[in-house]
Amino acid sequence: MAMAEGERTECAEPPRDEPPADGALKRAEELKTQANDYFKAKDYENAIKFYSQAIELNPSNAIYYGNRSLAYLRTECYGYALADATRAIEMDKKYIKGYYRRAASNMALGKFRAALRDYETVVKVKPHDKDAKMKYQECNKIVKQKAFERAIAGDEHKRSVVDSLDIESMTIEDEYSGPKLEDGRVTVTFMQELMQWYKDQKKLHRKCAYQVASETHKPPSTSSPPPGLVSFPPPCVSPVPLLPSASCAPRLCLLHGSSWSTTEKITVCGDTHGQFYDLLNIFELNGLPSETNPYIFNGDFVDRGSFSVEVILTLFGFKLLYPDHFHLLRGNHETDNMNQIYGFEGEVKAKYTAQMYELFSEVFEWLPLAQCINGKVLIMHGGLFSEDGVTLDDIRKIERSRQPPDSGPMCDLLWSDPQPQNGRSVSKRGVSCQFGPDVTKAFLEENKLDYIIRSHEVKAEGYEVAHGGRCVTVFSAPNYCDQMGNKAAYIHLRGSDLRPQFHQFTAVPHPDVKPMAYASTLLQLGMM
Amino acid sequence: MAASLRRPSFTACSSPTDTDDEGVRGTCEDASICKRFAVSIGYWQDPYIQHLVRLSKERKAPEINRGYFARVHGVSQLTKAFLRKTECNCQILNLGAGMDTTFWMLKDEDLLPRKYFEIDFPMIYITFVLKNPHPLKLQSLPDKFLLKLPSLLAFTDGHMLDSTRYAIIGADLRDIADLEEKLKKCNMSTQLPTLLIAECVLVYMTPEQSANLLKWAANSFEAAMFINYEQVNMGDRFGQIMIENLRRRQCDLAGVETCKSLESQRERLLSSGWESASAIDMMELYSRLPRAEVIRIESLEFLDEMELLEQLMQHYCLCWATKGGSELGLKEITY
Repeated sequence: MAMAEGERTECAEPPRDEPPADGALKRAEELKTQANDYFKAKDYENAIKFYSQAIELNPSNAIYYGNRSLAYLRTECYGYALADATRAIEMDKKYIKGYYRRAASNMALGKFRAALRDYETVVKVKPHDKDAKMKYQECNKIVKQKAFERAIAGDEHKRSVVDSLDIESMTIEDEYSGPKLEDGRVTVTFMQELMQWYKDQKKLHRKCAYQVASETHKPPSTSSPPPGLVSFPPPCVSPVPLLPSASCAPRLCLLHGSSWSTTEKITVCGDTHGQFYDLLNIFELNGLPSETNPYIFNGDFVDRGSFSVEVILTLFGFKLLYPDHFHLLRGNHETDNMNQIYGFEGEVKAKYTAQMYELFSEVFEWLPLAQCINGKVLIMHGGLFSEDGVTLDDIRKIERSRQPPDSGPMCDLLWSDPQPQNGRSVSKRGVSCQFGPDVTKAFLEENKLDYIIRSHEVKAEGYEVAHGGRCVTVFSAPNYCDQMGNKAAYIHLRGSDLRPQFHQFTAVPHPDVKPMAYASTLLQLGMM
Repeated sequence: MAASLRRPSFTACSSPTDTDDEGVRGTCEDASICKRFAVSIGYWQDPYIQHLVRLSKERKAPEINRGYFARVHGVSQLTKAFLRKTECNCQILNLGAGMDTTFWMLKDEDLLPRKYFEIDFPMIYITFVLKNPHPLKLQSLPDKFLLKLPSLLAFTDGHMLDSTRYAIIGADLRDIADLEEKLKKCNMSTQLPTLLIAECVLVYMTPEQSANLLKWAANSFEAAMFINYEQVNMGDRFGQIMIENLRRRQCDLAGVETCKSLESQRERLLSSGWESASAIDMMELYSRLPRAEVIRIESLEFLDEMELLEQLMQHYCLCWATKGGSELGLKEITY
């Protein structure tokens, strides 16, 4: 664990070859006793001072480090606490308290798996110690809690929350006067009532929220798993999703029941980030979603803005109402890591429960990663790939029902950014890459596409055209984080001419709830 | 707005000027809470701040934490440079100090000046003591913390807590005469090289009032340095929004005119009697941080959008000015 800048002099012990003189050992013990007294009196910095002096006289005593580690914990110097605990263990592998201290430091730093390893060690050494067992179990509970397990990016197959929910037996109290599903179905009335209900800052009953979220999760009734690459228009011929064949008419075709209806345009929106009132404004400006007014929302629906619950349930609601005319693509914020830090998890837990968050997390894993319009325009949240030669078929084959890995095509689709210069560079974000115009051109040519639409980056004008028109960014959260002052935009694509038409809009007022109002701190868990 | 010469007493908590300043006083707590939060995540070490302010239940955004890291780092670097140049034979005046812990941090590093002064609105200190009346809590503070219950009465009377190395003064920085009087009562020297620090302070008074303060500082000491941290580049959209957001919280950036650019920030120092002045924006400072430190702090929390950090940092600056002290080489101090 890297130390803070400029190690304090107390911590820098030079290696010693000769053992300390007898007098020094005695004095060190005296200092330690004094330090302990300070500690008992809660005077932690004097405790630290005196432990440090003891260490200077006798640098090989594990207990001194262990005790100082605890004093550092009390003063929230977790990095120092960890370093001292580690040293204590190095000095004496049998010093049980050392493992305790290191576990506590790791807990405070949110490194629960590391903490668990140390608690495991303690339990092994002291199998009958109740306290050890309890700490291990508590830590284990945290680790096993799906939210944290996912944060460490596990691949294991998890038991589905959807499957374990018993929504039927949930009851809605008589006093609840808000929107309800009709016979378990989303209707136009429900959506209208929902949006008004939300506008008035009221809460949708949890049963309805569970219904909407879990219905969204249900795969469509086809024999194959839901497509990671959604085609638009949807397949005209067989139930198995395929790219539309060349015989499809150039206009946007939409399948509605068994009859065809052609439509004028489709609207593509970028990040909305929990800005519910701005989402309502989009519907105000551009019309509510319908079979004749289809929408694609290109990821990052939640986090940052503090109306994320309202945004996501509204979007899910429309998805259920118009499954073939309302599409949601996954963004990098539809993941556990992001939700933990940037507020969505906290908001769901505050407004509902942890289980509800688990459900959202699971639904996010089902979201497709990309959408292809008329075989010509590819839409994804982040961008293109860290390697050459990726095809649409490759995208289709991605095993996407998981948290995104640290690298690879799934990660790139959610995280990458365009850059002005040719080639690829390390991403300023620290994950995935930045790709140049040549990369875009090659990808489009190989896959016989015209251009890509992506989002993921805030733009002052709400959109940006790069790579000679081949890489379009659209961002739909105006005055992002109540700070940036940016315009937002959405794109119209018409079947007759797939060139993007940009429509800008600005922020509307919203109730006084700051961005990230629900982002909670991890540190309230697992302290000694 | 005319500076009021009214001295806030313990009981009179609601006069017009008091309410006007309430928004500004609120920023003290905000800054301290943000600092404490960043410390709790591990951005830097500060074992004292937990005694002065509560831990935020809300998570602060990663760009905010990184911003505070850069701020604290920058001010600290310049402060220590001054202390080294003067070999601690100096004074530090922390203007608008709020719940600052620098005194204790310097003490731990054996880098204390001859005397350290903290000055802020009396209400800031009174409120602190009122919020922490529980004897056990005060007893748990290290001996050195002066704000014990009995001292409250002494404080509300003269608005000063004085000791050999450390003084806390309740004063309105817009009332120079009062400020000077209190500093004199606390044995401030005009002969010692003096460092004055203002972190997000000047912007809350009018350009005229801050100019007076800067002039007074330049004239009062033989050798001096002034560190100013506050907004810059406020003419754009982001700046406008910040001003509006703060106004909604009853916090008026009365001095935002001087925050137009790095140039205007340098100018206002030079035109107040300071001999040399420098200013850099925080994005520039951030890019000059030692690589190891940057890697360390960037791995503490994942930042989802660099643009947010860049915008934020480009709208804050660190400025410093010196006067005299040529034998000490004060002019050479740089970030």
